Amino acid sequence: MSNPIASTLERARPPAASAPSLIEMRRVGKTYHTASGGTVRALQGVDLSIEPGEFVCVVGPSGCGKSTLLRMLAGLDSCDEGTLSLEGRRIAGSSSEVGVVFQAANLLPWLTVRENVRLPLRVGGRHDKIDGRIDALLSMAGLADFGMRYPYELSGGMQQRAGICRALARDPRILLMDEPFGALDALTRERMNSELQRIWQTSGKTVLLITHSISEAIFLGDRVIVMSARPGRVLRDLPVPIPRPRSFDTIVSHPAYAGLAREIRGLLNAQGELE
Amino acid sequence: MSDITTSVPVPVEAIEDAPPIRGERKKPLSGSVIAAMGLVVLLGLWEGAVRVLHLPPYILPAPEAVVRALWSGLAVNPASQLGYYLPLWGTFRNAAIGFIVGSMLGLTIGSLMAESRFIEKLIMPYAFALQSLPKVAIAPLVVIWFGFGDGSKIAIAALLAFFPVLINSFTGLRATEPEKIDLMRSLSASRFETYRIVKLPNAAPFIFAGLDMAVVYALLGTIVAEFLGAQQGMGVVITQAQSVTDVAGVFAALVILGVLGVVLHGLVRRVEHRVVHWSRQSGH
Repeated sequence: MSNPIASTLERARPPAASAPSLIEMRRVGKTYHTASGGTVRALQGVDLSIEPGEFVCVVGPSGCGKSTLLRMLAGLDSCDEGTLSLEGRRIAGSSSEVGVVFQAANLLPWLTVRENVRLPLRVGGRHDKIDGRIDALLSMAGLADFGMRYPYELSGGMQQRAGICRALARDPRILLMDEPFGALDALTRERMNSELQRIWQTSGKTVLLITHSISEAIFLGDRVIVMSARPGRVLRDLPVPIPRPRSFDTIVSHPAYAGLAREIRGLLNAQGELE
Repeated sequence: MSDITTSVPVPVEAIEDAPPIRGERKKPLSGSVIAAMGLVVLLGLWEGAVRVLHLPPYILPAPEAVVRALWSGLAVNPASQLGYYLPLWGTFRNAAIGFIVGSMLGLTIGSLMAESRFIEKLIMPYAFALQSLPKVAIAPLVVIWFGFGDGSKIAIAALLAFFPVLINSFTGLRATEPEKIDLMRSLSASRFETYRIVKLPNAAPFIFAGLDMAVVYALLGTIVAEFLGAQQGMGVVITQAQSVTDVAGVFAALVILGVLGVVLHGLVRRVEHRVVHWSRQSGH
């Protein structure tokens, strides 16, 4: 490739001699076959590595394959080009080291909040009896009094907090979040972002979060990965030099904020549609 | 603020929760009151038709004669062969057993079809062929195979109960949202765990709709089998009354069967309400 983006990528790559990162993607590509016989190239040549404890946010135009990327990391989709590895091992299916937070919570409506959060301990050949862990997770998310309620009795924000608790039930090292707060109103969303920052800081998990919101990406991310339109590639890998804990009241006045937001917006606008 | 999420619209519930603008209105009549009014009108028309048209009792008896026939069937020792109690119990028992057997088979085969494309392709065309056949027409054959006893009643009831449960459980299990399957896959759940924890509860509203139909069909199947020959049952009560042109007696037996059908339907609905408790509130 002879375009300037490719050279940016080359510079962003860590030296080959270094120990494998927690998550490594090398030249990852994915092509979908449509029902009408055509092919859609969703991802092409994606290079990305994530270190333990990092919070990485991915933004990109809609349909750029960022959800596909997350699904491949979760073992829900396979990649047909390149390699994806977790702690140096190739990803082949789901792993208990990975917890997934879905869009719009995705709780099972027939189970109580507690049963939903406990679900990962019931299935997949595990029959853990550690209920204390579930209680600790629920109180961490402020849901201690709602364990016996059903999801429909909770607000959208509470449902998604339960979804995060569920993803943390097996104490995974990695949390993958696919636009988890997209369905929430702006104020609840900011509150959830602060909550997530707190949970991340106390738990020390590695987080990959996909979002449409530039402010959310800057607020939460150690790095913001900007992806191109389809076929999705990594356009830019931007570090966020804003100290933590961050708050929405102060972050906008940080000197780095406006520049970052402008740069991300510029990159996305150059890609055409922006949701 | 340079935030693209600030354009999120105000939640719609806030508007929907507002009180209606229209002024105080009269309380609407409850459903049972309206239904009772319908019954009174029907009985009035019936009585009027019998009187005005001078219909003889062997064509259409007056409501009052039907009530008398009902009373003579009900106001007896429950152990007496003359009353409705023993035949009603026999019909109910056979219909219930047939319902349970047919539904269980329907759920099992429907589940296998939903889980396996191979089994689906193997069974589906024949299931539909058999479904489009008027199953009541098979009844004489079933009587030859199972005899005039309870066996043939249960078999026909089961046959009729089978299909709605089969189709509904198949459809419901296949209707599981892909995100819920993804959740289970991300947890490395086994196929059976995914079935038991996600697909089956998700299909429950469909399955109950099938059971609701099946319970009425089971009763229908039992009565048809009894028409073809039986020692006991409400079908026998009807054929006996018919053989002596006791039309009021036929009507009375039909009323009893109607009540039984409504009660069975109500039972299924009640169980559904208990089991599928989430469906009401979350507006599925």
